[in-house]
Amino acid sequence: MKAVLYILFGSSFLVATAWALGTMLLRKLGVSLYRVEERLLGFMVGSACLSAIVFALSTVKLASKGVFLALGIASIGYAIYSGAHRPKGAEFPPLPAIWKWVFGAVFGLFTVLYFFNAMAPEISPDGMAYHLSFVAKYYKAHGFVRIPSNIYAQLSQGIELLFFYAFAFGKHSAASMVHFAFLVVTTFLMLAYGRRIGYPRVGAAAALFFYASPVVGQDAVIAYNDVAVAAILFALYYLLQTWDVDKNAKLLVPIGIMMGFSYAAKYTAFLAVPYALGFILWKLWRARRPVWKPALQVSLLALLFIAPWMAKNWLWVDNPVSPFANRIFPNRYVHVSFEDDYKRFERIYSLTSYKEIPLQITVKGDKLTGFFGPLFLLAPLALLALRFPAGRQLLLAGIVFALPYMGNIGTRFLIPAAPFISLALAMAFGNAGWLLMALALGHAVLSWPAIEKRYCDSVAWRIDSIPWRAALRIKPESEYLSERSQQYRDGMLIQKLVPPGEKVLAMSNSSESYIPHEVVVKYEAAYNEVLGDILWTPMFNGFQPTQKLTFRFPARTVRKVRVTHTARSEGSMFDIHEFRVFDGGKELPRAPEWRLTASPNPWDVQLAFDNSPVTRWRSWRNAEPGMFVEVDFGRDQEVDGVTIETTDGYDQQKIKLDGADAQGKWAALAATPEASTAPYPVNLRGTASAELKARGIRYVLVGSGDIRADDYRKYAALWGMKCLGESNGTRLYRIE
Amino acid sequence: MPRTLAAILLLALCACDRAPISYPPPEQRPAVEGPAPDPSLMMVELKDADASAHYVKDIDPGEGWWRWTGQQPTVKVLAYTTQNLKLSVDFALWAVAMKQTGPVELSFSVNNHLLDKVRYTAPGQLHFEKLVPAEWLRTDEESIVSVGIDKLYTAPEDGKKFGFILTNIGFVPR
Repeated sequence: MKAVLYILFGSSFLVATAWALGTMLLRKLGVSLYRVEERLLGFMVGSACLSAIVFALSTVKLASKGVFLALGIASIGYAIYSGAHRPKGAEFPPLPAIWKWVFGAVFGLFTVLYFFNAMAPEISPDGMAYHLSFVAKYYKAHGFVRIPSNIYAQLSQGIELLFFYAFAFGKHSAASMVHFAFLVVTTFLMLAYGRRIGYPRVGAAAALFFYASPVVGQDAVIAYNDVAVAAILFALYYLLQTWDVDKNAKLLVPIGIMMGFSYAAKYTAFLAVPYALGFILWKLWRARRPVWKPALQVSLLALLFIAPWMAKNWLWVDNPVSPFANRIFPNRYVHVSFEDDYKRFERIYSLTSYKEIPLQITVKGDKLTGFFGPLFLLAPLALLALRFPAGRQLLLAGIVFALPYMGNIGTRFLIPAAPFISLALAMAFGNAGWLLMALALGHAVLSWPAIEKRYCDSVAWRIDSIPWRAALRIKPESEYLSERSQQYRDGMLIQKLVPPGEKVLAMSNSSESYIPHEVVVKYEAAYNEVLGDILWTPMFNGFQPTQKLTFRFPARTVRKVRVTHTARSEGSMFDIHEFRVFDGGKELPRAPEWRLTASPNPWDVQLAFDNSPVTRWRSWRNAEPGMFVEVDFGRDQEVDGVTIETTDGYDQQKIKLDGADAQGKWAALAATPEASTAPYPVNLRGTASAELKARGIRYVLVGSGDIRADDYRKYAALWGMKCLGESNGTRLYRIE
Repeated sequence: MPRTLAAILLLALCACDRAPISYPPPEQRPAVEGPAPDPSLMMVELKDADASAHYVKDIDPGEGWWRWTGQQPTVKVLAYTTQNLKLSVDFALWAVAMKQTGPVELSFSVNNHLLDKVRYTAPGQLHFEKLVPAEWLRTDEESIVSVGIDKLYTAPEDGKKFGFILTNIGFVPR
């Protein structure tokens, strides 16, 4: 029961601190808002400020429980001292009684469902694997920790920093409760917006459309950030609309803050910046008022919240928008091929046709992870709202904030647009109150777990129960998690069998947020991909140096030699396991004064000069003309041959050899190499294990569904590995 | 002011220019190698508890150090090298069965390449061994090894058909 109190304290303390900061700011600015608006927008603006404060504290390693406590007490205390807790502003006219009851009943029922799920131990795959694993690491280190081996650590983490604040007191579930708080705030903001624009029934119905949606509820009760992003975008929209009516320039302050917070919360919300700027410029230009000063003001404010994230990435991983744009900002931490593959997958998932999307995101929910409910099959009817000015504004915002969906078609990536679509859809039926109520009630019924299981796919991502015993910790956390999550069990296997401080190489995510170990997931960063490449080389002929390409030419004196790829290859990389230079038929010893470079990916060039058959320099992007690996001898050197050991692919043979003299003048040494192929003659498994061990990896976690999982099991002795333990088919090996 | 700002930005851009990235050769050492593999890892001993993990078809389940086979007993086994390996099979032809079938011919194959055909006229404990061409083998995945028998013994009691008695099968270094 003590844990429950800590969870409730952690999340409530965060909400109270954010509210206090935001309300004080709004009061200081003197903006005129309805009473409930000030409460809700105060929390949203305060969340942005608190997130930025936690960023600053994390940067100087002062982000500890004690500092958070002092910050919270000071903020809340000053807010009370300054009277910010006392209501201010006018009240909205009351909701029609029937709507008050309907809204209250549906909201109440779903709140019970969501509350107990949010309170239950955090079980979401991404929450366990990274959202909260970073938070746990920051908590331990009292601030940011550089994590180059995980691309997700490079994403902006504005919401995770709020989780951090709550986590310090209530651990994992406190973070989930914070996310749930954003759902409640969004719902009431939607209701308030309807009342503000004179459509209270539309506001109430739309709020229920959003609140009861299965994917929204499921996402909000775990430590993800999509619902928080929806809250931020809707708050920004709300402030813009209010500014448009009131023309109060002081509203531009919270608008600028929310613009910046959008990016800080999630990259995909960056569209809030051009959207809001465009809105402000358009409105000012139409009103023939000064344009540039207000635009500059909001831009600078937004930049205050955006720049720290860019700077962090620029300093730590050489790319301000990592893990994207790696062609523009080449770096050693994320491969271009990963970015390309990732984007490709996010655009298709396991769909066979895009025609599947409408049913997947509304009814089925298996392939795209979650569904909004059958009501949203009516979403095209939201276009009927175009007949109202507010409807046009909502639809425009909905379309803009849905644009990132083209880059990731998972259902939850539509959540940020859902409040706008919900309001527009409700507005389309705004003149038929009984129909609106029927839709709201019908949607609520169809979204209740016991009902939705009758029509959605059996593996759809959704809330399926009210785990009140686990939520109240009557059932122990570890028991609940072990029963329901293989990912958690994998983590516990590591916890039990791997000494602290040791890294574990894994093929997929485990529950890192519950364990102190670093789990290096094969695909999650460039460093990890190189480790995975080493591990897979013995198991795939196509990875092995089975081809020898030999350039022979009359002896020449050169300063540098360079092997350059000459053709474009879709779907294959340029790679070199070993680059050997000969003089008089004998290989030249690789001298310390040599300088090696490559383009692209110069950081791995030494892998082509290390005599290891399981390591290689790779372009890590499709091979293109002009890619090269180069040796600078540092002095004049006579050479008469170069051999490249590489994989057996036709495209690999499309290379040429050039040499440069002391003046740096390049000339061809040989046009085409002689090629010979032969299977690699010896076992590479032991070599790969030894190579991993030399790089500090002594433990490998292999799931039953991982590629070639049987190979490790059947030939552990050949790998030089010992199976330490097993959990439901997942095996943990130690490299001996 | 705008000119000053532009100049500062230009300077900042210059400061961002990076020198070409180059490295010296890494410390030269022989390829890191794991422990020398145990040749017995390439042999499927049918008495081993995990032997069934290598079965593909036509090997009866059971206990003890041998198994009855069907017409084409087949196993998967990993060759950790392609060089100088011999296929090795220990098996037995049962006298009672040979009374019914007469002489039998066994075909030994590796990865769908016929390595040899041998005609056996007498029962007893037998051993087959022959060098496998390196190009038939690969080290990245398991090789398929099979032994076909041309005539099956039919048990008079229940009509069940049997091939021969297999004890172990796999590769051994030359």
